[in-house]
Amino acid sequence: MLGELEQLVLLGVMRAGPDAYGVPVHDEIQRRAARDLTLGTIYKTLARLEEKGLVTSRIGEPTAERGGRRTRCFHVTPAGSRALQASIRSLRRMAAGLDVGLDPA
Amino acid sequence: MIRLCEWLLQRTLPDDIADHVIGDLVEQTHRGSFWLLYETISAIVLLRARRQQGDRMLQTFFGDMRLGARMLRRSPAFTTTAVLTLGLAIGATVAIFSVINPVLLRSLPYPSPDRLAFVWERNRDGTRDNVGFQTIVDVASRAKSIERWAAIGGWTPTIGDAEPEVVTGDRVSWSYFRVLGVAPALGRDFLQEEDQPNHQLEVILSYGLWQRKFGGDSSIVGRQISVSGTKMTVVGVMPASFDNAVTTQSKIWRVLGYAPSQPFACRTCHHLRMLVRVKPGVSLAAASSEIDGILGSLIAENPTQYASVGAQVVRAQDEITRAYRPALLALGGAVLLVLLIGIANVANLQLARAVRRSDEFAIRSALGASRGRVRRQLLAEGLVLALLGGTSGAIIGRLALPMLVDQLPPGLPRLDAIRFDGGAFGIIAAIVLALALALTLAGARRDRRDLGESLRSGQRLATGSHQMARSTFVVVEIALATMLLVSATLVARSLVLLLGVNAGFDASHLLTLQVTATGARYPDNASLFAYHDRLRTAVRAVPGVQSVALTNQVPLAGNVDMYGVLDPDNMPANPELVPSGDRYVVSPEYFSTMKIPILRGRAYTDGDAADTTNKVALVSAALAERLWPNQNAIGHHIRLGGTQGPTRTVIGVTGNVKHRGLDATTTQQFYAPEPQWLFADNAEMIVVRTTLAPSSLVQAVRRAVSSLDPTVPISAVATMDDVIAQSTAQRRLALVLFAAFAVAALLLSAAGIYGVLAGNVAERTREIGLRAALGAAPREIMSLVITQGMRLAVFGLVLGLVGAAGLTRFLQTLLFNVGENDVATRVVVVAVLAVVTLAACAIPASRAVRINASEALRGE
Repeated sequence: MLGELEQLVLLGVMRAGPDAYGVPVHDEIQRRAARDLTLGTIYKTLARLEEKGLVTSRIGEPTAERGGRRTRCFHVTPAGSRALQASIRSLRRMAAGLDVGLDPA
Repeated sequence: MIRLCEWLLQRTLPDDIADHVIGDLVEQTHRGSFWLLYETISAIVLLRARRQQGDRMLQTFFGDMRLGARMLRRSPAFTTTAVLTLGLAIGATVAIFSVINPVLLRSLPYPSPDRLAFVWERNRDGTRDNVGFQTIVDVASRAKSIERWAAIGGWTPTIGDAEPEVVTGDRVSWSYFRVLGVAPALGRDFLQEEDQPNHQLEVILSYGLWQRKFGGDSSIVGRQISVSGTKMTVVGVMPASFDNAVTTQSKIWRVLGYAPSQPFACRTCHHLRMLVRVKPGVSLAAASSEIDGILGSLIAENPTQYASVGAQVVRAQDEITRAYRPALLALGGAVLLVLLIGIANVANLQLARAVRRSDEFAIRSALGASRGRVRRQLLAEGLVLALLGGTSGAIIGRLALPMLVDQLPPGLPRLDAIRFDGGAFGIIAAIVLALALALTLAGARRDRRDLGESLRSGQRLATGSHQMARSTFVVVEIALATMLLVSATLVARSLVLLLGVNAGFDASHLLTLQVTATGARYPDNASLFAYHDRLRTAVRAVPGVQSVALTNQVPLAGNVDMYGVLDPDNMPANPELVPSGDRYVVSPEYFSTMKIPILRGRAYTDGDAADTTNKVALVSAALAERLWPNQNAIGHHIRLGGTQGPTRTVIGVTGNVKHRGLDATTTQQFYAPEPQWLFADNAEMIVVRTTLAPSSLVQAVRRAVSSLDPTVPISAVATMDDVIAQSTAQRRLALVLFAAFAVAALLLSAAGIYGVLAGNVAERTREIGLRAALGAAPREIMSLVITQGMRLAVFGLVLGLVGAAGLTRFLQTLLFNVGENDVATRVVVVAVLAVVTLAACAIPASRAVRINASEALRGE
């Protein structure tokens, strides 16, 4: 079972597309989930996910916009997608038939 | 800020991580420094604590930091007060030192600045004078210790034809920039052959003037521009980095072009400054004594051409900062006191908090936390507080500095070099935070042995030593606040007394402006006289104008234009020893317009002025008394402009006018009608007395002046009230800052007293309840608390009054007609402190009275 932060960050990585790194992931989570996480929190979660084999990273090209710094781009591994599926599915099953104040999915 | 974050991240995180974290931050720099710092710290805390699994010490430390942050968030009142106190103290100190450092401390921005010096003529009474060109040439040719020299004279040319503008400049020897050791960025320096009489057709521009007036066009070099109606060639532009600290306001330079044979190059023509560069290896003291000796022999050779007794050689750095040093140092001292108060207050707050948390610490140690462990946690909490305090200090300092710079006098040297001083910030913040931490820990340590006791009894017994430490802090705070209050009150009284000084004229409803008529339209005196006459008529016709007068200068505007006043019937052996008077060449309505009283005799009329054979003059009462003590001055004669000057009959004596400043002692003036003067002034002041508010007539008067000749630039438009305010600007600034510091100090120490008493009452709840149960009257309980508060106040006050005696010595230049040991000031300060202390005691005292005896005792 994934933690809430892990779910948010995994989904953030998927939403941010092929070049997901700290800033876009942060912005996705801020925009969609209205959660103001610090970049540090996101880095930390990403590192934990990588350790668990749920995301992989590659070092991107240095860009001028970043003052010549490289990006570390993340994408979700098949194991990551499976864990996410399992996690969301179990949430849905638990919520099914209960009035939790949401529209039925 | 991003640099700082980058550095922090690189130091703390492994390279591969740091690099992409920095990258992400760089992308987001637009979110501001605070965000960056917050993100950096969060990244370091989170990533580092994780990476360094093995490093237990560090991990627990970061754990402590997080715990500390949470604890601080749970007591927002404490955190806000402590962070704001630290922030204000650090911010104010950094702002003041960001000014003091470049203005006073940093070396002048020239090569080997310590070899630069000014040479003055030294008078018998310790005052000094500018030097004449002949003297400069003689000193320079005889002195072996001088490597290079330059003469500097004032110059205020009008630049441009279409939109003429009066700017401040200098006439300098060709060698001026070489003496300083700087060279133009564009074009070339002056050449020696250009520094000749009747040549003077080359100018060098400052970078700022070049950018502003000529749009930074580099083809300007070699082109001719219109300068005071003459075509002059721009030969060079100084680099942007050139800081003309020697004459702060100058933006344009041309060669002096004097030759010793010229009449205005004489020894008695004291209108030049002499700048020298001493040879390498020669000490300034040696050069000084050599130059002094040379001037001594020049005086011996020409006894009738000197009033001075020798030379004064002043290191350029000291000369430039001379006027501002005392005030800036006093402010630096004051802000340091505020800083100390801030530290004491934060330590005090921390101690109070430690007392309230003694149960928490007791439980922690009972559960097995070692002493070191508890102390480390306190330290971590302190560090979080320190980080927040430091950040708010940086923000407040950055915000305060531009406001402070706006208030600084425009003539302050090195104004452009004032920046937020990161180095000073680092040092000050580090010292403050270290002190606050050390004091907290010292306080906490004393508490240690009582922890077990505290837990067992469930009571707050461990307070005695705390109270002692906290009381000490409060006494120190009150002492420092007293010192600041005394200083602020002295400065305030001085300003009030100064503004109450009778300037000798009525400044209300006066508008002043300057017109500078130069060029082909005004080739001679007659054309200028005619123009001035037309000006008077045109401005008088403006509705709302009561009267108009023309003069070459106005009082209190910082003008220095003096002439020796000779009595031809009583000529001294050395004409240089005659008194000097401020030269006022004015139109007849000047006295009525300014409301300067005529004490004896009469003012002159247009008829007197038109008569060029029978010359007349008025003298101020002080000048009359100096020339003819106890005699009627009317009918005496004076000569102005040397022994050969025309003889004038004194027809009236005027009241004294404060010309140099409201605090000036000598006010010797003479007044002469313009057509009878030796020359016509190109730059003329118009003084307008208005029936309406003077500022409302500015546009109409400007239009009236421009309608006569739109090519004549109008400058220095100001009401006389503005002029007076400007003349006291430095004192006002000092007053505002001192008052702000004193109020902050007072509030902090009131908070300190309140904190100690409130804590004390809370801790003595049972005791006070018992007293009340045994029949103590409310008044007795109240006096118990108030006596304790007052005892602290009296200790602090006595210490502070002693300290103030030391501090106020540095204030002398800011004081006026108030002794530094003024008793009335002390009385005011004591009264203010008594009121504030009582107010701070009132709340805890009333709380003590309200303690319910039965409830307090039931707790047993």
